[in-house]
Amino acid sequence: MANAIEARKLDVGYGSRRQAVKVLSGLDLTVQAGSFLSILGPSGCGKSTLLRVVADLLEPLGGTISVLGETPHAVRSRRDVGFVFQDSTLLPWRTVRDNVRLPLDVGQGRLTRTIDDRTDQLLALMGLAGFGERLPHQLSGGQRQRVAIARALLGQPQLLLMDEPFGALDEITRDRLNDELLALWRRSRATILFVTHSIAEAAYLGERVIVLAANPGRLVKDMDMRPFKQEANRCSREDPAIISAMAELRSALEQAS
Amino acid sequence: MRQAPLLPALAIALPVFGAASILLAWQFLLPWLGVPAYIVPTPTAIFGVFEKNLALLFGNLRPTLVEALAGFVIGNLAGVLLAVLFVHSRMLQAAYFPIVLFFNTIPVLALSPIIILIFGLGMTPKIVIAAVICFFPTLVNMIRGLDSASDSEHELFRVLSATRWEIFWSLRLPRALPMLFSSLRIASATAVIGAIVGEWIGSDKGLGALIIQATFNYQSDRLYAAIVLSSSLSIVLFCAVVLLERRAIRY
Repeated sequence: MANAIEARKLDVGYGSRRQAVKVLSGLDLTVQAGSFLSILGPSGCGKSTLLRVVADLLEPLGGTISVLGETPHAVRSRRDVGFVFQDSTLLPWRTVRDNVRLPLDVGQGRLTRTIDDRTDQLLALMGLAGFGERLPHQLSGGQRQRVAIARALLGQPQLLLMDEPFGALDEITRDRLNDELLALWRRSRATILFVTHSIAEAAYLGERVIVLAANPGRLVKDMDMRPFKQEANRCSREDPAIISAMAELRSALEQAS
Repeated sequence: MRQAPLLPALAIALPVFGAASILLAWQFLLPWLGVPAYIVPTPTAIFGVFEKNLALLFGNLRPTLVEALAGFVIGNLAGVLLAVLFVHSRMLQAAYFPIVLFFNTIPVLALSPIIILIFGLGMTPKIVIAAVICFFPTLVNMIRGLDSASDSEHELFRVLSATRWEIFWSLRLPRALPMLFSSLRIASATAVIGAIVGEWIGSDKGLGALIIQATFNYQSDRLYAAIVLSSSLSIVLFCAVVLLERRAIRY
């Protein structure tokens, strides 16, 4: 299968090229298409920055990166990438339906492919069927993130980037959304890059977990989770195999911090 | 600890009671204390002016209303347009915003004689003064409002390849509306002030002129009636802004 992401000696930073503060340094990363990658690391390790380079929100200072075999810019112009932010980033003046439809309302002129209006399907899929006419402030935190995910999925992107999307939710809601996300992923087979600071979430969701260290951000652990799980990335949260894998991730994370 | 909110009936009854108590004290206590009517006429005397001189009062209300409204529209529109220009050109903003801020420090009373020198004695200088007063708060608030979208909101629009035009209409402008309306609320009162100040300096009609004439003629009941009318004008403008705001901002 082709690779969704290929990064070679990737340097990313803020500021001018000569006086940059490096956030990621010499990162090599290959992500298989259709896989679910969890990115774990202490704050400041550049995990969100990595997503922003993939989404073409940030230019790397050095090295190369290809996304779905093309430049990040080409992929963004085709709307083949969906982004889910930590705060749901719903526009408070738009109804739930209009928030999900936002990708149909903006950027169409620059879009290099047509996307279908699947708003109703997505609302039903995300369990928001009766909520289309509500305003974001009338929803719970979990519902708001569901709307944000529906919006990101509207263009049926091949790549879904999620930046700590469930970080602000309570544990029960978070667990439920984790399961819904996995079900979605199994159905769509999109590639998902999922940034989190929760070891349990990273281990439960990811087919593979990478751990980044800070100052500058670099890869310190790359762990295949499939040996710890059943087929199709299924596992139980209490499974001893998963718990031992989490211990291994924890020690890597402790060394990285 | 925070106090519990008032019962709905009390929340209405108490302000009514407060206003009534002050009106009653004004009507009966002040004359009893020996405050002469040419300094503070009683509420009934002021109300009497509305009965006797209704045509005079409303004849003078009309020019003030027109000037305040026109100044309100022109000043706020100019403030909004300049804010849009400034947030789209940082260079322009850096070059001219400090000068705009400097102009804002000139007291409008000091500026009005110049405006009257330029525009003469008709309605135009009053409209200009009202517009100038409305202009600055709206400009400053609108710049802040247009810049108030969060980083992730901008990133969302970037991921969607939105154009500048789309970012403006779908993100920046709706984000700016709450701040725009808070300055429009202020402007609803200041536009009336601007019109009246303009009429003070050179006019024979309008509420400002009526106030000056009544003062010089010791017609204090008429003076107070003109004051009541001008504050009612501000209140009506304010309510119109609030109604508009409720329709525009539903969240």
